[in-house]
Amino acid sequence: MKKNNKQQNIILWIVLAVCIVILSASSVLWNPSAGEKESENSADQKHKVALITKSTVSAFWKTVYSGASNASTAYNMELIFEGPDNEEDYQAQNDMIRKVVEEGVDVIIFSAVDYRANAEAINQAAGQGVKIIIIDSDVNSDQVSCRIGTDNYEAGCMAGEAALEDERETIRVGIVNFDKNSDNGQKREEGFRDTVLVDDRVSIVDTINVISTTEDAQAGTEEMLKKHPEINVIVTFNEWTSLGVGNAVQKLGLADETRVIAFDSNVRSVGMLETGEVDTLIVQNPYAMGYLGVETAYKLLNGYTLANDTIFTDTMAVDRNNMYDEECQRRLFAFEKSNKN
Amino acid sequence: MKITDKLKNRMGIMQRISLSGLFTVLVIAVVLVTSVVSLLTFVKLYRKDMEENAITSSEQAVVQVKNTVANYTEDMSDIMQMICENIQKDEEEANEFFGNLLKIRPDVVAVTSYDLNGKLQRCWSGGQKLKEKYLKNLSYVKDLTDESDGMLNITKPHVESLFVDYYPWVVTISRKMKDASGNEIQVAVDISFYNIASYVDEVGIGQHGYCYIADDNGSIVYHPQQQLIYAELKEEKHDVMEDGSYIKSNVIYTVKSLENCDWHIVGVCYVDEMITSKVERVVSSLVVILVIVLFGTCFMGSVFSRWFSKPITQLVTAMSEFEGDNGEFVYQPVHGTQEIDALSDSFEHMVIRNQKLMEKVRQEEISLRKTELKALQAQINPHFLYNTLDAIAWLCEEERNEDAVKMVNALARLFRISISRGHELIPIEKELQHAQSYLQIQNFRYKNQFMYSFDVDETCLSYLCNKITLQPIIENAIYHGMDRMVDEGMIKIGIHQDPNRIIFTVEDNGVGMTEEQCREVLKKEPGDRAGIGIKNVNDRIKIYFGDEYGLTIQSELDVGTCVTITMPKVTERSYEEKQ
Repeated sequence: MKKNNKQQNIILWIVLAVCIVILSASSVLWNPSAGEKESENSADQKHKVALITKSTVSAFWKTVYSGASNASTAYNMELIFEGPDNEEDYQAQNDMIRKVVEEGVDVIIFSAVDYRANAEAINQAAGQGVKIIIIDSDVNSDQVSCRIGTDNYEAGCMAGEAALEDERETIRVGIVNFDKNSDNGQKREEGFRDTVLVDDRVSIVDTINVISTTEDAQAGTEEMLKKHPEINVIVTFNEWTSLGVGNAVQKLGLADETRVIAFDSNVRSVGMLETGEVDTLIVQNPYAMGYLGVETAYKLLNGYTLANDTIFTDTMAVDRNNMYDEECQRRLFAFEKSNKN
Repeated sequence: MKITDKLKNRMGIMQRISLSGLFTVLVIAVVLVTSVVSLLTFVKLYRKDMEENAITSSEQAVVQVKNTVANYTEDMSDIMQMICENIQKDEEEANEFFGNLLKIRPDVVAVTSYDLNGKLQRCWSGGQKLKEKYLKNLSYVKDLTDESDGMLNITKPHVESLFVDYYPWVVTISRKMKDASGNEIQVAVDISFYNIASYVDEVGIGQHGYCYIADDNGSIVYHPQQQLIYAELKEEKHDVMEDGSYIKSNVIYTVKSLENCDWHIVGVCYVDEMITSKVERVVSSLVVILVIVLFGTCFMGSVFSRWFSKPITQLVTAMSEFEGDNGEFVYQPVHGTQEIDALSDSFEHMVIRNQKLMEKVRQEEISLRKTELKALQAQINPHFLYNTLDAIAWLCEEERNEDAVKMVNALARLFRISISRGHELIPIEKELQHAQSYLQIQNFRYKNQFMYSFDVDETCLSYLCNKITLQPIIENAIYHGMDRMVDEGMIKIGIHQDPNRIIFTVEDNGVGMTEEQCREVLKKEPGDRAGIGIKNVNDRIKIYFGDEYGLTIQSELDVGTCVTITMPKVTERSYEEKQ
């Protein structure tokens, strides 16, 4: 009889255990998003995300920040926004990486000034368990979880196509690029070259690399134009150099003669597009970069699997004819609720 | 061994599906099924209810936004009216008015007027520099419809394209009017989203729900996430702009239209978060309660089922103990439910009856041995032997050798048959010889004081009967019936049969007995002298063949006594088979 009792006990406990397992399983099934909600709701477990860009002052990076900030609000994460004072200062970027890692960030969203020189700092950060997301400009590291940004080669091609729209018999191109070590600039230039050089009319007269500021770009462009007055198409690959080239063309009074293909939207470059110094703007989607960067960070931290490790944001070629089309307006002009700047 | 193995097997099965285990599982299953079913029903009902609630709260929020936005557009309409009045005034006065207006109303970006060809006539802005040559004027609306029906003419959102380095997003309200000199002009007011944003952004529906403003075509005028939409990361898929609520795959859209323009307020709320999260919360707490209940049920179930099964287990134990040793077994009654009590009582009765029966069988066996012994003893009743031997001796003295030989032979036969090698059952033929020998001896001793006769059905002779059945009765008839009789006695002995039985009869014409005496004869143990008594005969027949057989006495005083003995027809073969 004792044995019988023992067996009964065992059966009872087994039944109990089975019930508990079934119930807990069902409660988990009922609450598939429970885990997600907890992390979303608990303020003390707010994830820290650092956005380290090439600059904090250009319209492009401001828009990136605006997108990132919006997403960080939506996903309840703390966002730190950092960037060096000038767009060549990879050292400052490396310092910032170390600093935010010390501060205990979970994810770094990074845009590299220097494809190689930033790699070590990024690898170190990844070694400490920080997830790395690259936006806009790549770094030479295999620790990157996701790359988000313009398909730079494709954007270069787009610039090339805009250049080929010129109907003149000879197209003499001057290229004003920024830091040679910056990956995105090089990719864009490559795409541009590959596109234009197919055409017999095209010859690339000169290529200069300037420091990524309006002044330097302007000086460099003026010098180039003086040296090679035959240049009738100038292409340049970022916001500051675009302004510099536009200024130079304006100063030299070559707005009508010179076709300028520039990058990124800025109030002034849009103005130059209207007045003719700039003929085509290749406009990226910085807001999407920032937003998707943070969204991806959220997904990484919450254990979602990413569909792709590369996300391309779209680009658009805007010229004088279509700049006030609804779509182009939306891309060129940032939406701000207040009219007080 | 086989039986015990089987028993063990059965016990094994019993262990595997014990009553309490079965009961507990049953209860848990019932509870589980009921709770799951009720849970599902509840969730369904609750969800429906919540859906209605969600729609109601969504509608309330949207109506609220609609009212504020409607107030705002009314306000704009008023401002438009004021502008129209003031624009006709002279330059200075108008400038002052517009300067103040732009200061007071930061949401008004610019006021412009155009001639019939769309040429910009006048422009007031908050100090922004007008472009020398503008590429496109997005604030001027060609082919403006008349404002006869009280509807405001509002454009889609666009950027302000007239100023140097200043491109805010605005909507333009336009109106046709006549200027002081009677020329038709068009007035346009560019309004930023500053105020509208403050009305729309703050309204939340549920955790992530929001409102936005769309025009007749469903294209967005203002959305709290306007930039996200412009960056093409988000879009609103709803394009039905008639008032009402629409549920589209987990999203509830609620539309309310403004009366004085083509704007519609669209409320978006997520069914998942409005309803599912609540349902989830309720369900999870319900599940917790259920788990507790289930625990409780398990516990109670096990307790109750033990309570139920304990007496049964006790009964089982008692029965198996009884099975093993039924003689010494003392039954302790088991108490439980009514049924258990009844079962226990019945078992107790059964135990007692069984034990009684067993006892009876044992007693009968003992008494049988005793009577058999008595019969053996009776075979050598010494008085009878002395008397007979005396008689033989006397015959010899008288030299009646022939008679003496007869007597000796009769005596010898008597004893031989009495002993019969220890068998209890002997053929009736032998019993008959035994009776004849006895009568022969007695008749001689009593000097022919009585007569006797036999009436025997020859076919009965081969059946078996208890030995020494007739002799004690004849003896009784001689001693008690004839001894004190004056007339010559007569003893008739008959052996007959009916279809099932052998019937022996011993009839005398002696003094007879009262009924009381008859009963006494069947009860009393004979004294030492009396040899084997009538009771002994009756007992032996009943033990061997059962209560329906045996001995009956019919007697009448001074007439005689008739003793009838019935026995079944037992052949030698059937008796051996039984043995």
